[in-house]
Amino acid sequence: MLKSIAKSLVIASAFAASLQVNAEPVNLDELLKTLEQGKMFQSQENQRREAEFKAQRDQQVRLLNEARNERDNQIKLSEKLETQFEENEFKTADLQEALDKRMGSLKELFGVLQQVAGDAKNKFSTSLISAQYAGRDVVMDELAQKMGKSSKLASIEEIEQVWFALQREMTESGKVATFNAPVVLQSGDKVEKEVVRVGAFNLVADGKYLEYVTETGTLAELSRQPSERFLAGAANIQTGNGELVQFALDPTGGSILGLLVQAPDLKERVEQGGTVGYIILAVGLVGLLIALIRFVGLAVVGAKMHSQLKSDVAKDNNPLGRVMKVKDDNPDADVEALELKLSEAILREVPKLSRFLTFIKIISVVAPLMGLLGTVTGMINTFQAITLFGTGDPKLMAGGISQALVTTVLGLVVAIPTVLIYTVLNTRSKNLIYILQEQSAGIIAERSEKGA
Amino acid sequence: MLAFWEMFEAVRGFMETGGQVLTLIAGLIFIMWIVILERIGFAFNGYKRVEKQIVSAWNKRDDHSSWEAHQIREAQVSRASIKLNQHIAFLGALVALCPLLGLLGTVTGMIEVFDVMAISGSGSARSMASGVSKATIPTMAGMVGALSGIFALTWLQRNAKRQVELLEDHLEVHR
Repeated sequence: MLKSIAKSLVIASAFAASLQVNAEPVNLDELLKTLEQGKMFQSQENQRREAEFKAQRDQQVRLLNEARNERDNQIKLSEKLETQFEENEFKTADLQEALDKRMGSLKELFGVLQQVAGDAKNKFSTSLISAQYAGRDVVMDELAQKMGKSSKLASIEEIEQVWFALQREMTESGKVATFNAPVVLQSGDKVEKEVVRVGAFNLVADGKYLEYVTETGTLAELSRQPSERFLAGAANIQTGNGELVQFALDPTGGSILGLLVQAPDLKERVEQGGTVGYIILAVGLVGLLIALIRFVGLAVVGAKMHSQLKSDVAKDNNPLGRVMKVKDDNPDADVEALELKLSEAILREVPKLSRFLTFIKIISVVAPLMGLLGTVTGMINTFQAITLFGTGDPKLMAGGISQALVTTVLGLVVAIPTVLIYTVLNTRSKNLIYILQEQSAGIIAERSEKGA
Repeated sequence: MLAFWEMFEAVRGFMETGGQVLTLIAGLIFIMWIVILERIGFAFNGYKRVEKQIVSAWNKRDDHSSWEAHQIREAQVSRASIKLNQHIAFLGALVALCPLLGLLGTVTGMIEVFDVMAISGSGSARSMASGVSKATIPTMAGMVGALSGIFALTWLQRNAKRQVELLEDHLEVHR
């Protein structure tokens, strides 16, 4: 027991010794002494720390006080500034009032100036004259914005600038002017060209009408030009020197010419008809070809028959001659047999004369029917568009409607001449057939009487 | 003179509002009436000579009963019938074409209306008015033309038929 205590003590002392003193404790007294010494040392240390903490606390208190002072000073300053602000506000109100009083009618002037500058900006941005004098709308816009803020006043130069710009717009709109400017061609190339401006209405270069693209402020050749007779005037106005020239003017300043691009030409119109339209045209073409062939055929046969009517000798190259030959071939036949033979010969000739005519007739009837078919398919397209997009935008329905109308037109365009051609051909062939049917026997009789 | 000028102005205004198809219809009606007048002139004047000639030639013949005589008579009647019916079928076609051309005008006018609609929207009825008048006036003109022609055509057809029958009666056959 003692041994174990001694042992632990030894260990403890060994620790203590290793911490504080290098002297090795040799006995319990020594150890006690050492412990006492250590305790004393510790308390000394604690006192020192306490003193340090106290010093630090004082420091903090001092700092706090300093901060409080600072805060009080700032509050005082802010109060002072607030009162000053209020005073200043009164002062500015007074001064503003004085300013308003002194500006008086001038203020109205600036309002008008702002309005006029804004209007002028809108006008200049779309005016063709801006193609010659670029950047006018920007200047006007800046001035209008400046007038909008009350902090700045317009200088006399700026006011005069508005006046000058308006005056120039007015003067230039009455002039035919020539200037050089880059022009975007239809191919997309940008080329420097001599441009003629006719008032505020049209721009022309190299006999072609130009459009002024307001978004980019550039000049572009219209992708679709008006018809040839108008372009001649455009070319003359550029080359002509002083004398009067006829010129086609777009009084809307280019918007009619712009719509010209949207209006479809004949080829696009036909394309709007779609498949049905092309079928109608093909059928009409076939009808015309057949009619042409029949025209030539009937004219040749008719001429031969008329020369046969004048001559006494039956020729083999025409229907009448062939019918008349029946009599010559059967000189001994009696009246009944001859009549039978004649009608047989006539029956052989009639189909050759009226060949293909029914086909032309059918085409003249079928073409409007096919137009009707196209109309109905076009209307189906239109109603499909309506079910998909509603009736809000007429442009979406335009495709179906134009198909409906164009096919009807094509059907009529094919039918009208075909009806006329059929009637003319039918009359001709019928007259020839009459000659064969009703007159051949008579002609034979006349011939035999004359010979007798 | 002034009245004539005013009439001319009115006609010109009418033709302009009707569009190109109306010009076509006017041309068609003009041709139609020239043919009609020519036919009427022939029916009252030219045909009388032809008939007299045929009848006198027939009466000059001694032989009015043989097979030859019968055939010659038939041939003469047929020739007269061809002369009387000349251009009548053409006239019928012209009358039939009048409403067709009117329809063509209607459809082209409607195309113009829809063009205007596609460009300016359906809001402005005024900009569509020109297309609408181009659609309606040719239809009316076509109808008027067809109606005016159809009376003359019917009379000419009946007259031709009657004249042929009369001719057949005048060429007497003896047995």
